[in-house]
Amino acid sequence: MKNPDLGTSTTRKRKLRDSAVLLPVLGAFLLVSPLITIFTGAGTLFGLPLIFIYIFGVWLGLVLAARAMARRLDKG
Amino acid sequence: MLSLNTLIVASLGYAALLFAIAFWAERRAAAGRIGWLRSPFVYTLSISVYCTGWTFYGAVGSAARNGFEFVTIYLGPTLVFIGWWWLLRKLLRVGRAQRITSIADLISSRYGKSTSLAVLVTLMAVIGSTPYIALQLQSITLSFSVFDTGDNANLTAFWVAAGLAAFTIVFGTRNVDANERHHGVVTAIAVEAIVKLVALLSVGVFVVWGIGGGPAEIFAMADTEMLQFESIFSARWVSLTMLSAMAILTLPRMFQVIVVENADERHLATASWAFPGYLLLISLFVLPIAIAGNALLPAGSNPDLYVLSLPLAQGQNNLALLAFLGGFSAATSMVIIAAIALSTMVSNHIIMPLWLRLNSKKTQTSGDVRTILLRSRRLSIAGILLLGYLYFRLTGGSGALASIGLIAFAGSAQIIPSLLGGLFWRGATRNGAILGLLAGFALWAYTLFLPSFEGAFILSQATLENGPFGLAFLKPSALFGLTGYDPLVHSLFWSMTFNIVLFIIGSLLSSPGPLERIQSSQFVDVFRLDQSTGSYLVSRSATSADLFTLAQRILGTDPAQRLFTEMARQQGKSRGLPDATDKLVQTLERELAGSIGAASAHAMVSQIAGGGTVSVDELMKIADETARIMEYSQQLENQSHRLERTAQELRTANAQLTEMGAQKDAFLSQVSHELRTPMTSIRSFSEILRDTPELGKPDARRFLGIISEESERLTRLLDEILDLSHLESGRGQLLIEPVSIQRAMEKSLNAADVLISEAGVRIENNLGPTPVFVMANFDRLAQVFINLISNTVKYGRGDPSLLKIDLETRDGTAFITLEDNGPGITYANRKKVFEKFSRLSEANLAGSAGLGLPISREIMRNLHGDLQLKTGKKMTKGAVFIVSLPLSEK
Repeated sequence: MKNPDLGTSTTRKRKLRDSAVLLPVLGAFLLVSPLITIFTGAGTLFGLPLIFIYIFGVWLGLVLAARAMARRLDKG
Repeated sequence: MLSLNTLIVASLGYAALLFAIAFWAERRAAAGRIGWLRSPFVYTLSISVYCTGWTFYGAVGSAARNGFEFVTIYLGPTLVFIGWWWLLRKLLRVGRAQRITSIADLISSRYGKSTSLAVLVTLMAVIGSTPYIALQLQSITLSFSVFDTGDNANLTAFWVAAGLAAFTIVFGTRNVDANERHHGVVTAIAVEAIVKLVALLSVGVFVVWGIGGGPAEIFAMADTEMLQFESIFSARWVSLTMLSAMAILTLPRMFQVIVVENADERHLATASWAFPGYLLLISLFVLPIAIAGNALLPAGSNPDLYVLSLPLAQGQNNLALLAFLGGFSAATSMVIIAAIALSTMVSNHIIMPLWLRLNSKKTQTSGDVRTILLRSRRLSIAGILLLGYLYFRLTGGSGALASIGLIAFAGSAQIIPSLLGGLFWRGATRNGAILGLLAGFALWAYTLFLPSFEGAFILSQATLENGPFGLAFLKPSALFGLTGYDPLVHSLFWSMTFNIVLFIIGSLLSSPGPLERIQSSQFVDVFRLDQSTGSYLVSRSATSADLFTLAQRILGTDPAQRLFTEMARQQGKSRGLPDATDKLVQTLERELAGSIGAASAHAMVSQIAGGGTVSVDELMKIADETARIMEYSQQLENQSHRLERTAQELRTANAQLTEMGAQKDAFLSQVSHELRTPMTSIRSFSEILRDTPELGKPDARRFLGIISEESERLTRLLDEILDLSHLESGRGQLLIEPVSIQRAMEKSLNAADVLISEAGVRIENNLGPTPVFVMANFDRLAQVFINLISNTVKYGRGDPSLLKIDLETRDGTAFITLEDNGPGITYANRKKVFEKFSRLSEANLAGSAGLGLPISREIMRNLHGDLQLKTGKKMTKGAVFIVSLPLSEK
């Protein structure tokens, strides 16, 4: 393209901010909603209760997502 | 088994190490080599002061009793931190812009620098934190007791409290500016954060891989009851997550490390993921340790101390010592930061205002305020720790660790509605905040805090069981008959409900004061406002010398000197004191707020600057803001109205233009048609003359006569058209003078005499002999009369023909009527007669192009009179033309 669209970076930044706002909502949905009861059964994975894997897995995922987002937001 | 001496030596050695680290960090900072002391990781580690002795020991206890529930305490803060962009960032920005020193200062500052709110929040914080501090002392003494030292628990607690007081006083009150980072303390806290994490991870790794053979084996050890996760999602699960999310924002010590000690807003970006990561790590091994403790330790062991007793039972003395130091770190770091935060609040919001009131006369002359401030802060620290110790002594270390911690959480969470409302809702007012806080706090105390004493304090055993005065529906554990819920959920539900509802209703029913209004927009719009607009203050009555004295006494001589020199330089003065402008007063107030809180700073500066009121200028600024919005919408409305009007005008104009275009076309075709008739006869007769040489003389003469006649008619027609266009364009200014109607009429009748007598029309002239003068042009008026008379002669002939001429004067106007007895003009044709070339009948009498009446009307209008046709709806007998003209004053 000859003329780069000046709006793109602004739009990208806005999307980034929106997702930064949505991240805790997603977290709350995964951890503080009835969704969690799906994983409270007796099942195990590698000998660990499913719920243990689920909670710490989601938690780790949130930390990593927050890290990726914080780096970009900090730059922007 | 470790000996008491080892423990004491280890604790003292560790404490000495902390002192050394804090001292070293202070020295480094003083020398300006801040470097990594201000790194985002130090910031993150200092936030981990959230993980107290309760977390360290109590989480395992909680896991041993309630399974997975303990993670909720960490999930709440995790959600708050990963959502930093939305809330924490704003909190930090406000804290920085307003030089906020504590949570109480924030609330007070938001609601118009209200002293009463500051006092209220401070008292709530002290009441809520005292059990929490006691809890830390308890966890330390408990940890001592595990080592079976046989020592007196109270004595241990006392010495611990004393040691903490000493540390906090030494490093927490070096500087009067609470906004200035406590580098020493923060560094020491960061080191403690590492120690407690390493300790807990070490115990965890030892338990999982040292005692058990890996995670799977540990979970296999668990009794079935512990692994009952079905009920994991419950009201309590949701409440605890919410509660911890609220507590991380409002606990005084958390506010201290997150907002007040923050050195750079960008550090928050790192903490947003690093702190949740820290929480994840510290809770990773909690459940395995709890399971192992339940399975391996003898029944009756205190689950709160599994972290210590498990390594001890396995003979791992060094690991136990590390765990002990970890717990010691967790507990001491909380107490230190809480003491600093609370002492700032107590001294700024309770002691300083009291002192100011008692010394209001002397403020301007008495000694150094800094000394008083520092002394009050030090005394507050000692007092707060003493309070914690007394609470510990009185309750005798009752209850499980986790439940005391949760009570403190629920107490501090009562600040949340006022805090969030203050940050996001412009309409939140001081009255709403006070009402909400009082209601929430009272209900918290009634349903949770006081019952925790189990009948030993204020609420008796009987009241707890049956409600006050036997009123069952007021029973603290089942308020208004709400039963079946966990006490914490129950209390949180009622206190938050009343808190939020009263906050909103109170805000809606009251209107904020001027200062409150300013502060509310400073908070809510913190990202939109330019920093420089800052807070508003008042009055130019202060002299800069007075302000300088005040600054010197609170900030110290050197900083005050620096501040004033800087201000003077900004004002363009090379030496001397700056002028006491609004900006100077604002800056000074903000600087002072960093030391003594917004309310006190406002009070002190106002005392000197005169009056605590907002000046007209400031009111104008607030009004301006509102006015701008109103003006803008007004403008929009006006503009749309104007546009609508313009559009309407354009539509009308367009319609007129279309009509005029059509008229013009019709006129042109009429003109060409009218011109064509005489032209055709002129051309044909001249052709005959040219092409017929044998034409007889008499014939030729007759033909020439016709040509001449037709040419005359053509000329007359062109004259009329020119005349009309001349009149219509309004270019030819007619000479207007007093004219006698009688004379004009006489001249017209004479001119038309031949025409009249030929047609045999009788004239009945009723104008009378006395001349009536009107303002007109004689020739033009005569022309109108001739036109009207010839019109009658041509079209209005009755049998026998009669033309009646009458005169009437009324309201300074002369009305001349010309009435014939001809066929008359229909109502439908009344307008047509004044149109160009409109002969009503096809009878085309020679010499008329149908322009007579239009020309006459134009003339009359140019003479400021009018020509009208009098008609009824019914066909009138005969046509009546009325000529009206203004009477001459002569």
